[in-house]
Amino acid sequence: MNTKNLPQYLGYSSVDRRYFIRTASASLSLPALTAFGDSHAQKGFGESDQNGPRNFVAIGTYLGWHQNAFYPRETGLEFEIPATLKPVAEFRQHFTVFSGLDHRAGNGHNNWSNFLCGSQPGTYSFDQLIADQIGKQSRFASLQLTTGSGENRTGLGAMNFSRENIYLPMLRRPSVLYRQMFITREDRKRTEYLLKSGRSSLDHVVGEAKRLSASLPAADREKLAEYFHSVRSLEGRMGRQLRTLDNPAADPGYKLPENDPITPNLQMEASVIMYDLIAIALECGLTRVATLFLDGLGQVFTINGRPLSSGYHGLSHHGNDPAMIRDLVLLDTAHLECFAHFLRVLREKKGTRGKTLLDDTIVLLGTGMGDASRHSNRDLPTLVAGGGLAHKGHVALTGKQETLLGDLYITLAQRLGVEIDSFSNARGNMNEVLS
Amino acid sequence: MNFRGFPPGLPGHQQPVTGHKIKTVPLMTVPFVAAVLLVSLPGLTWFRGAVATAQVQTEKTATAVPDAPREVLQKYCVDCHQPDAAEGGIILDVDSINWPEKDNLELWEKVLHNSSQSRMPPPGSDQPTAGERKLLGDWIDGQLSRHLRIGGTAPRRLNQAEYLKTVRELVSMRDYELPPGFPGDSEVHGFDNMGEGLVMSPAHIASYSRVATEIADLLYPQPRKAVSSRIQRGGVEDLVLSFSASAIKEGKLRLASSARDIMRSCTWPQQHQAKVSGVYRVTVDGSVFKPRDGDLPMILEVRARQVSASERSVIDNFRFLKDLPFTSKKSQTHAFETELYKGETLSFRWKNAEFDHNNLKATVRLMTNWFERDKRWLAAWQQAVFPGGLKGKARISTLRGLNGWNVINKALQDPDLDMSEATMDSPETKELLRIFGTVGGGTHNLGDALCHYYFNQGPSLQLHGYTIEGPTRLVDSDVDKRYQQIARSIAGTGKGKLGNEKYARTMLAKFLPRAFRRPVDNSTLEAYLKIASEHWEKGHTFHEGMHLLMRNILISPQFLYRSLQPGELDDHDLAVRLSYFFTQGPPDAQLAALANAGKLTDSKQLRTQAKRLMPNRREHPLVRSFTGQWLDTRGLKSIMPDPKFKFEAREINIAQAEVELFFLDMIRENRPLRDFIDPDFTWTAPYFAKRIYQIKGLRGRHDKLQRVKIPRGSRHGGLLGMSAIMMTTANGVDTQPVLRGAWVLENILGISPPEPPDDVPALTPDTRGTSTPREMLAAHTGEDSCLNCHRRIDPLGFALENFDPVGKWREKWPGTNRQIDASATLTDGTKIKDVVDLKKWLVSNESIFAFNLASKLMVYATGRPLNYVEKKEIRQLVASNLSEKGGMRDLILDLVVTQTFRTK
Repeated sequence: MNTKNLPQYLGYSSVDRRYFIRTASASLSLPALTAFGDSHAQKGFGESDQNGPRNFVAIGTYLGWHQNAFYPRETGLEFEIPATLKPVAEFRQHFTVFSGLDHRAGNGHNNWSNFLCGSQPGTYSFDQLIADQIGKQSRFASLQLTTGSGENRTGLGAMNFSRENIYLPMLRRPSVLYRQMFITREDRKRTEYLLKSGRSSLDHVVGEAKRLSASLPAADREKLAEYFHSVRSLEGRMGRQLRTLDNPAADPGYKLPENDPITPNLQMEASVIMYDLIAIALECGLTRVATLFLDGLGQVFTINGRPLSSGYHGLSHHGNDPAMIRDLVLLDTAHLECFAHFLRVLREKKGTRGKTLLDDTIVLLGTGMGDASRHSNRDLPTLVAGGGLAHKGHVALTGKQETLLGDLYITLAQRLGVEIDSFSNARGNMNEVLS
Repeated sequence: MNFRGFPPGLPGHQQPVTGHKIKTVPLMTVPFVAAVLLVSLPGLTWFRGAVATAQVQTEKTATAVPDAPREVLQKYCVDCHQPDAAEGGIILDVDSINWPEKDNLELWEKVLHNSSQSRMPPPGSDQPTAGERKLLGDWIDGQLSRHLRIGGTAPRRLNQAEYLKTVRELVSMRDYELPPGFPGDSEVHGFDNMGEGLVMSPAHIASYSRVATEIADLLYPQPRKAVSSRIQRGGVEDLVLSFSASAIKEGKLRLASSARDIMRSCTWPQQHQAKVSGVYRVTVDGSVFKPRDGDLPMILEVRARQVSASERSVIDNFRFLKDLPFTSKKSQTHAFETELYKGETLSFRWKNAEFDHNNLKATVRLMTNWFERDKRWLAAWQQAVFPGGLKGKARISTLRGLNGWNVINKALQDPDLDMSEATMDSPETKELLRIFGTVGGGTHNLGDALCHYYFNQGPSLQLHGYTIEGPTRLVDSDVDKRYQQIARSIAGTGKGKLGNEKYARTMLAKFLPRAFRRPVDNSTLEAYLKIASEHWEKGHTFHEGMHLLMRNILISPQFLYRSLQPGELDDHDLAVRLSYFFTQGPPDAQLAALANAGKLTDSKQLRTQAKRLMPNRREHPLVRSFTGQWLDTRGLKSIMPDPKFKFEAREINIAQAEVELFFLDMIRENRPLRDFIDPDFTWTAPYFAKRIYQIKGLRGRHDKLQRVKIPRGSRHGGLLGMSAIMMTTANGVDTQPVLRGAWVLENILGISPPEPPDDVPALTPDTRGTSTPREMLAAHTGEDSCLNCHRRIDPLGFALENFDPVGKWREKWPGTNRQIDASATLTDGTKIKDVVDLKKWLVSNESIFAFNLASKLMVYATGRPLNYVEKKEIRQLVASNLSEKGGMRDLILDLVVTQTFRTK
């Protein structure tokens, strides 16, 4: 095993060992999983692009990426790898860096969710738009995960919003996610009973809500409609769970740490695990859409044995202080080391039609904040990897031109077989750039 | 709240305009005080939309603008506010207005406000006469009052805190916790309990359903599965070693202390826990080590502990099982049968050991006698604890445990041991005994060292091993029994010989009105009964039927939503509003009884109940939740200040407690509202006061909060002088005068500034010290587009610049050698030089703050933003509170009897 590319902030010895156990156990069960994934894969997805990538993964940092260390100086395929991207150097044929793109959304932390929502933060997010089209047949229409947070993000600080502009909670405990992915035999019978009995009685509460609703003014009836919709959605979810109960995924025996690394300082370790679980979920056909929110609060990281000079948020407000920027870039690079691990795992695993999972998955790495030091949401650092796309190295767009980040999303959606010609404020596409 | 969408067909706005995100916290509107500091919001894209809608609908239901006000508008306003030149996006050149349109009501309220404040027309333009202003104002006031009704809260689902408390009370499970990943709530109008913000989403229903299942599992459990009996043998290596509670010597585990702190006296199996509650057969092998006269029998006390119990537990937390007497130096076996509950294992303690860490008096007695008997023993302890004599530093914490014993033992073996102080009346001996008699000295450090004497020299009770075999049969644990008791109490009856249906009917009659917080009619009850009876008909068990019933009740809209009936609240909804306002929980028995008797709508009774529910401790929800949200102190824990401020969890807790205790006293003592700004007291802790507020000489424990008298007119004290407030308005790294200013504007003065437009470059603070924040901001207030708002925001922020990001007073800007200039000019022209002046100004204009606080409380209580007529009602109430020299408690009592409070 090449230790050079492993995350270093946790100390070599322990990480190497744990890292090795994980990947080893996950890949041991690979043949069975592939077979299983295929059986799912053949079911009912009649996308227009049969050869296109099947999965979509989006990753976003709450406090942005330091632009100067993220953007290569040169454009095109020949570029010198900038500091933050060093960990993914080996994948340079498999990704494109975009500079100068954004959604023209408002500034400030409150508008962070423009990352996937476009110009209007807190509205139907891109991942959910994709999931609503391609995720419905999977066990999980989409997975929303997070690391580095002490609490659940809510409202405008969240990342994923349903069609109704309602934010979706994110999972931060790997053990909880894992239990949802691989239900045990003894749990199955009980779950089935609960689902069946619960579903049959939902009609009752719906009827009750309708009776209540009848006497209410129009505005209040509209509000109660949220209840109907939510109950119906729960019903659908129960149905989906019932179907998958008959066809459970085999537990690959992934070794989780004894305790969930949810302390914000253990964000990197948590991210590596979440990346592994996303890869396993894609491989097993449990989902086709996943997102990972990399939160940032005051956690102080220790990198290469040295505690950084300030907490994450403090560093993001670097005020152009070179020492602060140096530490911030170390931190961004640590995120990219975890990300490189993800790309490596995707490359090891099999996707459909003999492709690697990397070629079968469009991975979007970005943020809703362009420059956290100024709270500016212009010029969002964006990287698209995998998906079998014709990658172009560094594509630089000046802030003045008309191209929006949404144009890129439209192209990504189309590659995933989701035919849209507009997203948020964007009406164009970047098809030519990625072909 | 969704102002993102714009009316269709609006020219030039197919693309929604971003940038100014409109917050809808109510604006203060009418001339209310002479000097008012207010904003006109520039570039309100929202109003652009509003006017367009009004025009579209003009044909339908619009009423004509009468000539007189129309003339005033034509004469002074329409030059700038006409379709061709809609300054600020506002058009006032209209013939008719569709008044019921919400956007129009808001627009004209704004017009009224700006006109009556003489904010419009702008300086330099022709100004209307006082009579013309009055004419316009009266016309708008009349229209607004005619077209607006009190009330209109959207159906509110319980928010996370309310839901948790409601579940806990309903099923008497005070320690129930929500599962991880339970969705939170969005904040709208500054609070997380607003009708608009409390969206019901699939994620919510899924989580409610999950909680309902968890509760049903506890109350109506599945039959336990038979578990085959197994036997676990453990040796000494399978037992836990905790501090100096035990040690392994010669293959035996020796015990030494009878302390009640289990981590200092007990041992327990590392790997065993009962899989189910049942009867187990236990054997214990042990012996006595070097007993002296009178030591026998040594009693080994066996208790049952939860494996997950905290190491900080005391022995009484564990269930007593058996005392086992040991008398032999050879292995002796005791066997007994006992109940172990699910998750429990055994715990062992030498019950009659002479040494007890926690009994400080007995420890001093023990050591006194020992020192009298054995002067060499005394000298060795003196040598260990006072290596440099009494003048040197006493060594206590490093003498902990085995390390300490090694030092003492070395002294004991030392042939040259200094015996000169080894008398009972020497100061060293006295000091040594004093240390043994202290928490820490006797309970921790020296006590732990002493244990090792017993491990090596005896006497000690030693364990050789144990076996746990079972279960031989299953039993109900205390926890099972507790839930059975709850199930019985919520049904009002045990199952006994009642038939399934009869039992369920009894249960529903008692439980449904509590769950739905109002009486339930018979058809509702029968409908629920049917859920269970149909389930039973299909052959499911009694518990399965009740389980399904409970799952249904707990996701019913009547449980999840409150106050659904429109109009004036009836007794039951009033009980609900009152109760959730004060306690974030459902009405208690007394409120429910009053509501059932139809007595709560009586204002006198309502006030009496409000008095009863008034906060009495700082954890009270009206204190904690309201201040946490109003003053944003709820987010303190996520700020995590830069390490250089040495501000950690303890300091953050103190800062938050200061605010809560202060707010509580404001209520309890019915203080005048201006004391929020400039009081004669504050709450703080001595070391914190010294470090942050430069208040010296406070007595009492250094980190215990106490009430402190301060002179009025101080820098510190009051909301604008508290660490928590200064912290929440900074980012933990540096201060941002603009953010602080905007915060004061919104939360103290009650005016919401708009978000900065997105085409304005954000300010990058340069922390390298080349320029001060004031110099950097000067550049950005140089631009007209910024100036309009920033001349209202920035002065308030600069006045607070003497407070660093954790609220500590400073004279110089960080990183520079330059004196902080906190002076500013308020928009009414008042010049202030610092925060003390700002507080003076706020006190002399106390109605601004008072109205803001009253509005915030009302928004929090009703879950809706206040409209013009509601604000009118509150304004009257605030005016009389001030003129009658009322206080904070009066204000709250007056609020709950208003129409605004009493209407859905």
